[in-house]
Amino acid sequence: MSAGGGSGGAHSAIPQNNIIAFGVIGGLAGIYGAHFLVDMISPYMSFLGALGAICGIVWGASAVRRVANYGLGTGVPSIGMLALGIGIIATTFGLAVGGIAGPVVALIFAALIGLVVGVLANKVLNMGIPIMVQSMIEIAAAGAIAIVGLSTSMIGTFMFFDEVVNGVVVAQGVATGVMTTGYIAVIFIAGGLAILHPYNANLGPDEKQDRTLACAFEKGAIAMIIAGIVATITPLASGAITILIGVAIWYISFSKYYKLVKRDAYMISGAGLLPSKEELE
Amino acid sequence: MIDIAGIIAEDFLNIAMITLGGVLISLGVHFVPVGGAPAAMAQATGVGTGTVQLAAGAGLTGLVTAGFMMNVTDNMGLIIASGTIGAMIMISVTMLVGQWSYVYGVGCPPASAKVKYDPITKDRQDLYVSQGTEGHGIPTASFVSGIIGAGLGGLGGSMIYFYLLSIENGLPEADFIGIASIFAIGLFFVNAVIPSYNIGGTIEGFHDPKFKRFPKAVLASFIATFLAAIMGVVAIGGM
Repeated sequence: MSAGGGSGGAHSAIPQNNIIAFGVIGGLAGIYGAHFLVDMISPYMSFLGALGAICGIVWGASAVRRVANYGLGTGVPSIGMLALGIGIIATTFGLAVGGIAGPVVALIFAALIGLVVGVLANKVLNMGIPIMVQSMIEIAAAGAIAIVGLSTSMIGTFMFFDEVVNGVVVAQGVATGVMTTGYIAVIFIAGGLAILHPYNANLGPDEKQDRTLACAFEKGAIAMIIAGIVATITPLASGAITILIGVAIWYISFSKYYKLVKRDAYMISGAGLLPSKEELE
Repeated sequence: MIDIAGIIAEDFLNIAMITLGGVLISLGVHFVPVGGAPAAMAQATGVGTGTVQLAAGAGLTGLVTAGFMMNVTDNMGLIIASGTIGAMIMISVTMLVGQWSYVYGVGCPPASAKVKYDPITKDRQDLYVSQGTEGHGIPTASFVSGIIGAGLGGLGGSMIYFYLLSIENGLPEADFIGIASIFAIGLFFVNAVIPSYNIGGTIEGFHDPKFKRFPKAVLASFIATFLAAIMGVVAIGGM
């Protein structure tokens, strides 16, 4: 129930401001890099979008870690779903009206809805969490980056509408390529889990920032692999490199996570196999 | 560039009805007997999962049934009724199967710890609550309350979906349906989480003292949904 930890804020070795910069700059650089380099170099560059999404996911997981440490009363998953719910609304709006500035517009409007929900949570619902407003802004914006990043790596562009030349569709947009096909549901769950799961899995009195963030990288890599699998069947994005890099990031971060789990565990002992029927009698 | 003010003025009814839909979802969540993790261990009354999962399960079923009805008719009443009934059926099945697990699996009688007598059946409750628990299973009042809640949620969800789909725009139909559904799902999640913060994660139904807090969540949902509805209507109306 009350999700882990006392009231006092989580201890962090890496300051949150650095992680915010990592999420915003890394996320937008990845998204824009994928969008332009797919046109200029080759569809293989679509993997940059998923790298941007991982930056957003790690940022979101870090913000969830900070706010959920106060005890939300509802379990951690709710806040991850809230992030992606706001992210979807802001992304649809941002990409539809923003054109080439779409990801930035989506980010700003996600932050705006996050601000409103954060203020409402503290002022109207009396949750009384001091960093609620800042955290809601961060979580919502991180959700938007995750959605735009994964969409971009799936179809190779973040433009909302199909590019039509002489009545022929030359490039699918997010509307047809991601939303109508239903891949958005995959993004919703894969991105949402990647943001909410790291803290949910690691919470407790011995929770450590580096272990939680290693888990976030690992979950982001899984989302990246899934985006790569989708990209293999879309024309303007190529999935092979996305899947390869995703598997590499997954392997590195999972090894790191496993090492940190062993570091933080009080004791590790092999339980052996289950006793046989004879031994039990 | 999109004529934002023009779209808002033209589709103001849609914005208002989408906001109303969000408020209905928020109100509906207060009726659903959410037990959270303690209920999963039969230590609290309600279904053993979080608000968001329950609301999403019932709400998405409502969207599917509303969408299916939209295939065959464009009568608003039928579409919204279909969404409402779909969500109600889904939550009933969830609660019934959960109840079987509690009664036949865990072996505990459904009992509420918040009231002495069930407000509907007038059965004594406190005698059947195991020591050290906050009740267990889904007593009749919670069951009925859950059906009402899912009905309100399904009503709200299908209203959002219907009024998003009645915005005039130049999108191909398949794209339009995809965007409207995912937008409705996004709004559904936001409006399921806000009341869940309001009730602190668990509630037994309309007889729970926490139920009286609902005006605060309804106000919060109203503001948040209104903002989101403007963005949705501008985005879809401008396409």
